[in-house]
Amino acid sequence: MGPLYNNTSGYSVGQKSGSLFGHIDLVALGLYFALVLIGILSITSASYDPDVENIFSFRHNYMKQIMWAGIAWVMGLVILLLDRRYFHMFAYPSYILGIGLLVAVLLFGVKVNGAKAWFEFGGIRLQPVEFVKIATALMVARVMSDFSFNINRVRDLIKVAAVIFIPLLIIILQNDTGSGLVLCSFLFVFIREGLTKYLYFPMIFSVFLFIVSFIFTPVSIFVTLLVLFTIYSALKMGEVVSHVRFLALALLATLLLSLCTPLSGYASLMIVCGISALVLGAIAIKMRAMVLLWPIIMFVYAMLFVPTCDMLFSKLKSHQQDRILTYVGVKSDPKGIDYNVNQSLIAIGSGGVFGKGFMEGTQTKYDYLPEKHTDFIFCTVGEEWGFVGSSIVVLLYIALILRLMRMGERIKEPFGRVYCYAVAAILLFHVWVNIGMTIGLMPVMGIPLPLMSYGGSSLLASTLLIMIAIRLDASTEDQSIYFG
Amino acid sequence: MTNNSRGIKRYHRLQYVVLLAAIAILGRLFYVQIIDDRYEAMAVANIIRTDIEFPMRGEVLDRRGEYLIRSRVCYDVMVVTRDIPREGFDSVRLATILNISMEKLRRELRRAGSASRTPHLVAGYLSQEAKLIFDESNFKGFYTRFRTAREYPRQVGGNLLGYVSEVNNEHIRKWEYYSAGDYIGVGGVESAYETLLRGEKGISYHAKDTRGAIVGPYMNGELDVLPVKGTQLTSTIDGRLQEFAEHLMVGKVGAVVAIEPSTGEILVMVSSPTYNPDLMVGRQRNANFLEMTRNQRQPQFTRALKEHYAPGSTFKLVQGLIGLEEGVLTPGDKYPCHNGYTYGVGRNSRTMKCHSHSSPLTLRRAVAESCNAYFCYVFKDIITNPKYRNIKEGVRKWNEYVFSFGFGDRLGCDLYGESKGFVPTPEFYDKGYDGRWNWGTAISCAIGQGEMACTPLQMANLAAIIANRGYYYIPHIIKSIDGRDSIDSRFYERHYTKVSAHNFEPIIDGMWMSVNDDGTSRQAKLEGWDVCGKTGTAEHNRRDASGYRYPDHSTFLSFAPRNNPRIAISVYVEHGGFGSEIAVPIASLIEELYLTDTIKRQDMLQRVLNYKINYGYYDAKQRKYDQQHPKQ
Repeated sequence: MGPLYNNTSGYSVGQKSGSLFGHIDLVALGLYFALVLIGILSITSASYDPDVENIFSFRHNYMKQIMWAGIAWVMGLVILLLDRRYFHMFAYPSYILGIGLLVAVLLFGVKVNGAKAWFEFGGIRLQPVEFVKIATALMVARVMSDFSFNINRVRDLIKVAAVIFIPLLIIILQNDTGSGLVLCSFLFVFIREGLTKYLYFPMIFSVFLFIVSFIFTPVSIFVTLLVLFTIYSALKMGEVVSHVRFLALALLATLLLSLCTPLSGYASLMIVCGISALVLGAIAIKMRAMVLLWPIIMFVYAMLFVPTCDMLFSKLKSHQQDRILTYVGVKSDPKGIDYNVNQSLIAIGSGGVFGKGFMEGTQTKYDYLPEKHTDFIFCTVGEEWGFVGSSIVVLLYIALILRLMRMGERIKEPFGRVYCYAVAAILLFHVWVNIGMTIGLMPVMGIPLPLMSYGGSSLLASTLLIMIAIRLDASTEDQSIYFG
Repeated sequence: MTNNSRGIKRYHRLQYVVLLAAIAILGRLFYVQIIDDRYEAMAVANIIRTDIEFPMRGEVLDRRGEYLIRSRVCYDVMVVTRDIPREGFDSVRLATILNISMEKLRRELRRAGSASRTPHLVAGYLSQEAKLIFDESNFKGFYTRFRTAREYPRQVGGNLLGYVSEVNNEHIRKWEYYSAGDYIGVGGVESAYETLLRGEKGISYHAKDTRGAIVGPYMNGELDVLPVKGTQLTSTIDGRLQEFAEHLMVGKVGAVVAIEPSTGEILVMVSSPTYNPDLMVGRQRNANFLEMTRNQRQPQFTRALKEHYAPGSTFKLVQGLIGLEEGVLTPGDKYPCHNGYTYGVGRNSRTMKCHSHSSPLTLRRAVAESCNAYFCYVFKDIITNPKYRNIKEGVRKWNEYVFSFGFGDRLGCDLYGESKGFVPTPEFYDKGYDGRWNWGTAISCAIGQGEMACTPLQMANLAAIIANRGYYYIPHIIKSIDGRDSIDSRFYERHYTKVSAHNFEPIIDGMWMSVNDDGTSRQAKLEGWDVCGKTGTAEHNRRDASGYRYPDHSTFLSFAPRNNPRIAISVYVEHGGFGSEIAVPIASLIEELYLTDTIKRQDMLQRVLNYKINYGYYDAKQRKYDQQHPKQ
């Protein structure tokens, strides 16, 4: 392990007193409470039913949410009172329990909106996937904080990948892919822990190719990549003239090939690119010029990946296809799957600078927008509080995420750091995807906005997730248990 | 670099990633909420309820000022299923008030349920009394929509006036004005003057509060548009005469068209069989419509405008006029006729038969007695006139004359769907006979047979032309719009034929003799009135399975009185036999009523009403249709 953090290095959180609550990060706690309260207000506005006379009646959604918040705070308090060693100890049992719950829900669960992801007890529905996030975060932290763990060693990498992919696979089987993809956000943690760029860069590049391959035709993607890589290599190697010659020659050859032979433009481009990649690759290896080799490898990868995408895509279920296509703008049917996004944009867009005021929003009142108090709760914020209000909410989330990362850095042992980063990653993914979908930046995936969306499972799980991070951070002084 | 400082570097990089995501979200929010102002308008559209108010549809008067089409108030009952209370409602009572069956109510509610927010029609044609009872009961989710239904005091002119129906998808696609649930005129006057009759729809906007309840007019009703009542039209039709003509044509297939020669106004237009226009209003409409489409005599088919008939002997008038104008015929010319006209040589020789009459005849007598041979000579002389280089030129010249009488093309009447008729041209014969033809090929045209085809409207127009001595106004059915003479200017233009006025006199003499001096039309004689007429007996090719040819079509063309004519009329009765048998009395009775306001010849009226026609042709067709399309 590296040297311990010095408390005077700027990462100090002030004077630590002896009591537990003196160590608690009040900024994170404050951000948490602010978001939960804004959430309850928004739920009140989005689903207030004036036919119910008693404003404290539990027929109101906001009263149910307040009840859930109360339960969550009690459990959060319990977490804060627990010894932090327990979390280290709980990692394995809770992970195994989580997997067990996922399997059980696959067998005995209730289907809601096409996903078999819910348990139902009486009138209360629970979504185990929310708790699996906590278990997986703890498990990842446990595995990665092992003394001998090295993320760039194949054996360790497989181990931590398995921790993520086992629950992910079961969640996909539940037909709840949207929730499952949250687990992919752990890549964020791996990058912090030093995952080699040779691994994460191809992953990000693949996701990028996957998305652009739906927006643009393969020919335009390849031509763009060809030009970009040539420019990159030219800048790196400093031989502009030869690169321009190469580019001109390649495009000319493609043109000639498509005009003089019965081959299509696409096929000609593929042939020219294939041949030049082989020749240039050979030259690069001979010259040992890695600067040249990397773009070539990436380009060849793109040539294989983009056509495969089309084939893969045809295997997706039609509603998943629709959602992705709607996102990239290929399919735009105002009465079809686009409907939610349109209505959500209308609600947020009509908010203007300052919004219409509490309970004054019209778009989030009737049934224009389904799931207006759950997945689309951000629309109420956008409509009633305008740009000012929605920016504040976004900034509160970003502040919480940055705070969690900072807490992770402050914790002097890997378990706490990895865990805090995992929570930050989960929050970032949820915020990005959920708010992104309400403003048309992301496809509709049906995942909630943590802390704000109506729903007991989500609120409870998010609370526990954050409280554990706060608890782990609260005792950074005491290192002995891990190294004793 | 230590492990720790590398970690710090990665930490800072990841902070940038988080900030980048924040910037992307905030940027997009800034664009959506502040820059792009489309969404405000769309939000407003979401909270406004738009109600369409239907105007009263324009009414139609006849030329004497009595209603042909009247509008009466009625209500549609609509439902918005999501507004129906969850605990249900008294559906039996609702069905009773609306006078519909429970099954129908259930069916409509099921259909409405598929789009629970949009209004759905439950039952139409609710009377004002029933509406009051309905309003008292206050069924939540149901409401009434004002509209008007058509009413026909004389119950005449089904296929002439057209009907009003809900728009279909094609109408909506074609015209921006219509949206689902609107009404549109179909056929006849309703369709021809749709844009005037429909008026302008009104629109009212209501603001909804956050619960979806109406709080009042949106923007104090500043944007509302009041409905504009449809325009009242005055028709050229004489309702009483139309009713009488339809009555005379009951049981007969054919058409009657009467025109006022001095204006081109259509007095009567009967396409028989027709139907009672009230059948196309009310809840039984669809059933009635279906029943009518099964009828092989086609009650919805406006024969007067659309059917192609051979004009028969009435066309001899045109041949005579052309002969005189071309100078190949003088009124004194005599041609022999011994029961027909023989042409061709040897084995190819043929005879066009004629009935027995004295021979030879002059032009006037030939018209009066309708001699076939006489007009064959005339026609041959016209088209083989040595003035023209060859037969083609001759036929072309003849065409020019015939076209000037309004044959071979649409007259341009204000009703839609006119047929052109057909006049054979040299090109037609060239094509049909491979260029090898002579005057004998075309000789059937001499007596209005062969390829000659025209509509009853064109025949009535011919009667008007002769009455006017050489010109006509385009026949039309609407004479004033909203009380003003603002109909299309084309109806005020005189169209001259290529025959000069003085050449009409010998022909009119012949027509007068046909009625008043022992001619074929003597039944049309009307005491005190100088009636002129010309009968026709048109042959056709309708045979039964055994080859028996059904009786000829009976036709008659007439105008009266001889000087300053007030009515020109054409009657065409399919399979009616000789022209004099049925077409003449029908036309004559209509003239009698129009000119004298009474019917003195009750025996003739009874004979027409009781006249039985052999419609074996249509009966066989109907039997075949019923066999192939059994009733559901």
